[in-house]
Amino acid sequence: MKEKTQIGDIDRSLYDFRYEENEGDFLDSGITPEIISEISDEKNDPDWMREFRQKSLSIYNRTPMVSWGPDISGLDVDRIVTYIRQKSRMNTDWESVPEDIRQTFEKLGIPQAERESLAGVGAQYDSELVYHNVRREVAESGVVYTDLESAMHDPKYAELIRSHFMKLVPPTDHKFAALHGAVWSGGSFVYVPKNVHLDIPLQSYFRLNAKGAGQFEHTLIILEEGSYLHFIEGCSAPKYYEAGLHAGCVELYVGKGATLRYSTIENWSKNMYNLNTKRALVQENGRIEWVSGSFGSHVSYLYPMSILNGHGASAEFTGITFAGEGQNLDTGAKMIHNAPETSSYMNTKSISKSGGISTFRSAVVVNENAAGSKSSVNCESLMLDGISRSDTVPAMDIKTDKCDVGHEARIGRISDEAIFYLTSRGLSEEDARAMIVRGFADNVSKELPLEYAMEMNNLIGLEMHGSIG
Amino acid sequence: MQMEKTMLNILPVPTFSWLGVNGSEHTVKQYETAYISADDGIARLDVQEGSSYKLSVAENQRSTVILYNNSDSSTSFEVNVSAADGSDVKLVEVFDSKAETVTKVRAELGTRARFSLVQLYLGGSGTVSEIAVEQGARSEFTADIAYELRGKDRLDLNLLTEQSGRKSTSRIDVRGVLSGEAFKIFKGTIDFKSGASGAKGEEREDVLMLGGSAVNKTVPLILCAEEDVEGSHGASIGRVDEKQVFYMRSRGIPEDKILALLAQSRTDRVIRLIGDSVTEQRIKASLGRGEEDE
Amino acid sequence: MSELLRIAGLSVSAEDKELLHGVSLSIGEGETHVIMGHNGAGKSTLGCTVMGSPEYTVTGGKIYFDGEDITELSADKRARLGIFLSFQNPVEIPGITLSEFLRNALEQVTGTRIKLWDFKKKLAAAMELLDMDSAYAERELNVGFSGGEKKKAEILQLLMLRPRLAILDETDSGLDVDAVKTVSKGIEEYRKSVGGSLMIITHNARLLENLSLDRTHILSEGQVVKEGDGALAFEVLENGFEAYVRKDS
Repeated sequence: MKEKTQIGDIDRSLYDFRYEENEGDFLDSGITPEIISEISDEKNDPDWMREFRQKSLSIYNRTPMVSWGPDISGLDVDRIVTYIRQKSRMNTDWESVPEDIRQTFEKLGIPQAERESLAGVGAQYDSELVYHNVRREVAESGVVYTDLESAMHDPKYAELIRSHFMKLVPPTDHKFAALHGAVWSGGSFVYVPKNVHLDIPLQSYFRLNAKGAGQFEHTLIILEEGSYLHFIEGCSAPKYYEAGLHAGCVELYVGKGATLRYSTIENWSKNMYNLNTKRALVQENGRIEWVSGSFGSHVSYLYPMSILNGHGASAEFTGITFAGEGQNLDTGAKMIHNAPETSSYMNTKSISKSGGISTFRSAVVVNENAAGSKSSVNCESLMLDGISRSDTVPAMDIKTDKCDVGHEARIGRISDEAIFYLTSRGLSEEDARAMIVRGFADNVSKELPLEYAMEMNNLIGLEMHGSIG
Repeated sequence: MQMEKTMLNILPVPTFSWLGVNGSEHTVKQYETAYISADDGIARLDVQEGSSYKLSVAENQRSTVILYNNSDSSTSFEVNVSAADGSDVKLVEVFDSKAETVTKVRAELGTRARFSLVQLYLGGSGTVSEIAVEQGARSEFTADIAYELRGKDRLDLNLLTEQSGRKSTSRIDVRGVLSGEAFKIFKGTIDFKSGASGAKGEEREDVLMLGGSAVNKTVPLILCAEEDVEGSHGASIGRVDEKQVFYMRSRGIPEDKILALLAQSRTDRVIRLIGDSVTEQRIKASLGRGEEDE
Repeated sequence: MSELLRIAGLSVSAEDKELLHGVSLSIGEGETHVIMGHNGAGKSTLGCTVMGSPEYTVTGGKIYFDGEDITELSADKRARLGIFLSFQNPVEIPGITLSEFLRNALEQVTGTRIKLWDFKKKLAAAMELLDMDSAYAERELNVGFSGGEKKKAEILQLLMLRPRLAILDETDSGLDVDAVKTVSKGIEEYRKSVGGSLMIITHNARLLENLSLDRTHILSEGQVVKEGDGALAFEVLENGFEAYVRKDS
């Protein structure tokens, strides 16, 4: 699916019934072919990648900004250092990671978590992978989990990467996809061979740390026929004065009968522009399961897309978005039914508080060739005060009569009865509200591994603290 | 008559451009004002091309206006409703034209005003219809809309109700049938403005797709800047419900007849809601659905 | 009495699970049979399969009606032969009024278009017998009807369509005492004026009290485990199923 961006004034009033055709705001990149060349040199890019980056840059320069969604005029791409020099080489032994970086990850509990429950960890510090390890038994089953740069140079995977890299999300998709194609750096490559079931999840933990740093990591996952993988992506960044940008890209190829579960809890700092693109292509009887929590960032545009391309393919999206003070989080999902008997299911919750804006945005497309398909969308929004905002913008585009498409949405607040009931049992009003919000978020927390569910509950507690004026 | 090109049916919050639902460009003529008077009664009118109808209903008055469009040529018209405090206004519009139609309803509802909009779309080669309602405190807005599109019929329908008033309520019920190569967009937006405490709004669309290569786009928005509101929207699109079909078959009705009945049921409901036997008979005659032995 | 319905070695599956395993029974013209069993024994499956529900797939055996093999017939054709099912959970059909629906069904079943005046008269009489508010005739079919009103609307259709075989699938479940009385009255009226056969699926004595029962069939785990005369139904209701469902007895 190609997203054609239209020229339009992004500051246009939301309610204006009259349309004004304005010239769009073009972000002047300030990124030159020379800078891109330098990146290629440092990364020792193969020729095709050198070309790919340059081509992406020219697409970036001629692509207008998106004409819908939250205001991103505060984002100054010029001032965002798109590439941070690698601070250290790749390490496979935790002890040889530089001390300050290691301590940051220790605080995040990564090595410990790895030892306890994770099959492999890829941690990214700014733009380079500093630590990478896959447990021996996982590697022996033929599973590859490495950084994309190394894999590109490995003759075993070079061709595989070339034939899949930015094929699902082409640089022409939208402006930030083009930017990503030009400056991408770091990220993960996962390959799961036919019929291999990984029972323990693989995890990557991204972290932005430099002032004003952009992060453009690329995740490429290929699941062969009949395989299973749970991939966990966690993101956090400390707060800095300058506005940061995250324009990552995730491409997931789910083979025949394979299942991929992709979980994310994003907690970027509250000045981050999160313009992330995630997409999965699912073959016959394959399945993609997204679990997504969005808590951080100043502005988010995030709509993972599932393209159901094979007979009987299915997709499920479970998400929660919590928009607090100063946040404008525009999230949702896209489901494209492109084959017979495919099914999609979306279940989302969004919470707005302290002036935060949350928007649920979705698209369900059932094409002519998708007879016998089913789709169901359920979204709920909770307003925690009168100064916040919550919008629901779903769309359904149905081109066959042989389908069942359902959509339900509700918006409301915490009922006074519920608060009264809980306070009558001795809870403070603050605790009662936090408890109700946690219950509201239950759809996501019950889909997450325990330690992530706990982290999410803590985040909600943190956001809810002091919520009553 | 002056013509100008302008964007119509703009989605109040634009979304993914590739869906093609953010608005479309059309030629709009300049209207001549015509006043409708239906003080405490019913007015039945055939739509006159190029009219801008003004319907002002005074405080605590009750009016019903029925507009019938069966023009053979392309038609543009609009209706401006001003419903004063405590008034009760019913506007019925029947679109029974095979030609192109561009139309708009604007309504301003005063405190405790009631506005009931009933629209029936019986085809048309290209109907662009917009509805914009502003609701005052404790006002009630209901929209009951049905369409039956076949062949190459096209309908682009955009409804927005802005609920600024406290305890205002809205209910939007849209049902329709698509067959052949029909194309339909329905965009329905409930916009709870800040300060609309105690407001409620609900919106539903039920689309029956009957064979062919019809295309349906449904975009139900809820915008909300107020905590103390209750809003919901639902949509159900696709083939007939297997359980309904079995139930009706078990009473002896064959499948083709069931499909016809279910298709007809969408429009019949709205025809009943018109509540005016003169108009009902006119519609039934046009559809060839008269009761032969009543 | 001549045989009306014969079920011969019927096996039925739904969603790849076999629910009935070789059920056989037959119902004669004008007879009243009771089907009993635990929840999930296959009673409703049997009733719906005889009606031709697409939810169930016949994997073995045959169904004969009046000597004709109807196993492959669609539901509307079975209805026109004279089979009627009172649904356990009648589906809501928005937009079509009860009266409009019934008139269409009647036209299909009888093959003639009944005069509107005559139809309305008959409908009003049947509704009165069933203690139904005449306003229900112009309401959308089953939409917003209470559980009791839905069941009455089923019996109303039974009286109007006058089938040769009526299958009542838990028509009494969820009804209060008065509603059960009304429904019983409707069933008696059907017996009296039409004289058709009845296949009653129930685990409730009240509906059976005023009927003369010919036969009782007890289902367990998709098989007929015990059969007897009408008195067996009341024995079972008194003693519980346990004594009858053990297959070794």
